[in-house]
Amino acid sequence: MNVPVTTRPPTVTAHPAPVFSMRGVTKVYVMGEVEVHALRGVDLELQEGEFTVLLGPSGSGKSTLLNILGGLDRPTAGRVTYRDEDLSEARERALTRYRRRHVGFVFQFYNLIPSLTARENVALVTEIAGDPIAPEDALALVGLKYRLDHFPSQMSGGEQQRVAIARAIAKRPDVLLCDEPTGALDISTGMAVLGALERVNSELGTTTAVITHNAAISAMADRVISLADGRITSDVRNATKQPAATIEW
Amino acid sequence: MRALDRKLLRDLWNVRSQVLAIALVVSSGITLLVMSQGVFGSLLTTRDAYYSRYAFADVFAGAKRVPNWVEERIAAIPGVEKVQTRVVVSVSLDVPGVSDPVNGRLVSLPDRGRPALNDVALRRGRFLDPDRAEEALVGERFAEAHGLDLGDRLFAVINGRRQPLLIVGIALSPEFVYGIGPGELFPDPKHFGFLWMSRRHLATAFEMEGGFNDVALALADDSASLERAAIVELDAILDSYGGLGAIPRADQTSNWYLQNELSQLQSMGLLVPLIFLAVATFLLNVVLRRTVAVQREQIAALKALGYSNIRLGVHYVQWAVLVVALGALLGIGAGLLLAEGMLGVYMEYFRFPLLIYKVSASSILIAVGVSLAAATVGALGAVRSVVSLPPAEAMRPAPPEAFRVSLFERLGARRWLSQPARMVLRNLSRRPMRAGLSIVGIAFAGAIMVVGWAMMDSMDELLEVQFNIIQRQDLSVSFFEPVERSAVHELAALPGVLQVEPTGAVAARLRNGHLQEQTAIQALAPGARLRRVVDIDYRAIQLDRPGLVLSTLLADKLQVEPGDMLVVEVMEAARPVRDVVLTDTVDDLLGVTAYMEQQSLQRLVRRDETVNGAMLKIDSLAEEGLYGLLKAMPAVAGVSLRRAALENIQTYMLDNMGMMMSVNLVFAVIIAFGVIYNTARISLSETSRELASLRVIGFTRGEISSILLGELGILTLASIPLGLFLGYGMITGVMSVFESELFRLPVVIEPSTFLVSAAAVLGSMAISAWTVRRKLHDLDLVAVLKTRE
Repeated sequence: MNVPVTTRPPTVTAHPAPVFSMRGVTKVYVMGEVEVHALRGVDLELQEGEFTVLLGPSGSGKSTLLNILGGLDRPTAGRVTYRDEDLSEARERALTRYRRRHVGFVFQFYNLIPSLTARENVALVTEIAGDPIAPEDALALVGLKYRLDHFPSQMSGGEQQRVAIARAIAKRPDVLLCDEPTGALDISTGMAVLGALERVNSELGTTTAVITHNAAISAMADRVISLADGRITSDVRNATKQPAATIEW
Repeated sequence: MRALDRKLLRDLWNVRSQVLAIALVVSSGITLLVMSQGVFGSLLTTRDAYYSRYAFADVFAGAKRVPNWVEERIAAIPGVEKVQTRVVVSVSLDVPGVSDPVNGRLVSLPDRGRPALNDVALRRGRFLDPDRAEEALVGERFAEAHGLDLGDRLFAVINGRRQPLLIVGIALSPEFVYGIGPGELFPDPKHFGFLWMSRRHLATAFEMEGGFNDVALALADDSASLERAAIVELDAILDSYGGLGAIPRADQTSNWYLQNELSQLQSMGLLVPLIFLAVATFLLNVVLRRTVAVQREQIAALKALGYSNIRLGVHYVQWAVLVVALGALLGIGAGLLLAEGMLGVYMEYFRFPLLIYKVSASSILIAVGVSLAAATVGALGAVRSVVSLPPAEAMRPAPPEAFRVSLFERLGARRWLSQPARMVLRNLSRRPMRAGLSIVGIAFAGAIMVVGWAMMDSMDELLEVQFNIIQRQDLSVSFFEPVERSAVHELAALPGVLQVEPTGAVAARLRNGHLQEQTAIQALAPGARLRRVVDIDYRAIQLDRPGLVLSTLLADKLQVEPGDMLVVEVMEAARPVRDVVLTDTVDDLLGVTAYMEQQSLQRLVRRDETVNGAMLKIDSLAEEGLYGLLKAMPAVAGVSLRRAALENIQTYMLDNMGMMMSVNLVFAVIIAFGVIYNTARISLSETSRELASLRVIGFTRGEISSILLGELGILTLASIPLGLFLGYGMITGVMSVFESELFRLPVVIEPSTFLVSAAAVLGSMAISAWTVRRKLHDLDLVAVLKTRE
């Protein structure tokens, strides 16, 4: 595979500066007459190149955390910075620019554009990115070299999710955020998707955060953060990472 | 209220702006229908009641002079029930304080009792006292136009003598519902009026004692064969008294115009509403299909709870029926109001002594019924696909829709297109039927606007032709009797007259086998400059060969072509009957006429005097003095002004067409907005998930707006040429409805008409786009990602 991905090797220094930093982040949703406390004072740093799994039951606040990191939402209180940029105070326009330049998203329901082929879904991003990977190369990276011109309706769920990953990484994002990427998939296709994420992280060195309620996935991470009821309950580094191909659930 | 009914009302409330847009399109159709049916029904009922109450005749005939005893022979014609003989003369009128020339027609009333036919309806004052020579009744519109009241005086100029007339009553007659003067296109009560005088005194003034020059018949029944037979007999009797040819009621001027107007109302009142209702049905179907698709899982859940397919079907049919019912209600209300307004305008031009307001409930019920049925069919089609699924399957999300590369891209454009552009194209080509119908719907809006403006363009063109190319005189003079050509020299000698041209026409009947037409043969002088005959390309027609030239319309009716022979029965002087060759036909714009070169016409009639009028070019400074001198000439029957005729028509157009135009424009905007807004809302609803995904990836609001609005833009832009084309087709159709023996409107569409129509459609799009764009800004990015569709 001839992918020009070695231009940016993984850089793990002794004292890396954090990519993300969260200080005292809370998020309160007002749903009608009820206040929902999704996050209750979260402090967190994510390092360059790290593969992090955020683990927690539904309602634990992990999606809210991811949305705030991805610039889809703003915290009610507290401070979030991406490198030198303050995301907690950014305006709509600045957040759009941030997402456009730095963030790759992968969602549970893929969110592909049904009217565009695999290649075109990826091109959607490469057309607005500064230094993108060619759509064909991005798709090859996730093992879809031979499905370039298929529409979403002609692909399986696992294939669609891998297109979504290719679309997310094609712009060489600084951070890849995945929300239950295997949530809608069976074991074998889920494994192929995890393999693709693993490969992107190791070959491109993309900082990756995956949220899931599936504890088995945490075996492939550098770091596992557990959430419950809007708070971080544990933050563990794995001594050894298990390859995605050997994970079972 | 049942839970399902609550759901129905809340669902409707959630899409209230779309519901309103559709209801407005429905209501536009129903409004037009109710309005035109209301006006049509009221006019028809009123006319029929008027005709029967005031004994409108079945057959009309004029003659030179018929002795009174002939009346008995006429009454003996088989099938004739009543006969009314009269004296009818055209005169110049002198209205105190009016300097413009005014013409009038004096009609005799019997000295004793009411007329057996063509009775007058007295509006104010009293009937004539036969012992008083100067008493007269005047027509209502004429009285209004001049502010004349009971006790006022005016003068009829009879043989150069001013005969005083005292107004004792203001009246209307079924003969003059549309009170139009000879040679005019529209009633002009300022310059032409009808008056009634006692038979004895009118006959004395015009040397008609012991005789009459006009007769009307009532027949035993309506059969066409009886009518034809009576006309033939009557013509035979009047032949030796200078009969001008009898005509049936259908050809009587006022009735002909009225009938024409009614036919137009009837046909226009069906066609346009049908277009609106068709567009509304389409919109309803699209919106409902979308609603059902979104509620796929709700429907499954309801089925799982035990609701039957039929109950669910009824639920969505109610949805459609409520929208149509709302539109129908609005439409009936607005239609009734507008019908009253339109009747008011009609009553200005068609005068009736009574008004029977009648809206045919059955036609409205049929229209509402048809739209309800169409709505039901549309709703059932939409809901069938979903209720047929087993609940378990329906509760799963619908599979992604299958797309393919659009034709346009396959033709090679693909590599030039950005991904968003491809999305737009594929969304459109995914549902070509819907895109096509949206385009047609918007195109109809454009077409309706084109028709409105093009009517004005065509009328302007007609006026331009009539008043700048055909009629270039300042005033025209008509004589009581044909005069020798030398008489025009007298006119030329009057102070202020710059140029004079004689005009002449001879009443004649043209025959080809069993086909016959009554007309006047116009004399064409070589090199005429003031009054010309032009063809459809506005070229002046010059006759250099002996023989007849006919309007194409007339030639068609007689089924003759150039080179054929025609029998010409001259209905004046010695009444010669001759075979004449048809040398040519012309596509003229006004009237249905026969033309002959002036010298040939003289030879045909075997008479030296064929001049019965003159066209004058005058010095405007000498205008008023000249009118007086002309009226004082005994031979002069009437004087009319080109300027006055033009002003009259312009007023008519402003009044009548102005109202129609505004109504048209409002409805066109409603239809454009209804289609575009609904299309926009549907595609927003269908693509909001995709658009939110794009926003998450980093597309800006502007970028995703351009995807949604790009789709709208393509539909709208594609509709514009189609709309202009449809508009052209519709205006041609409308013009052929208007095309009559009176005038043929040229189909003229100014570029500005196309521009204005296209701009109005684009404006509707801009408003829809702006409304929808605000919704785009409120897209909830997080919610969209967390949910499957």
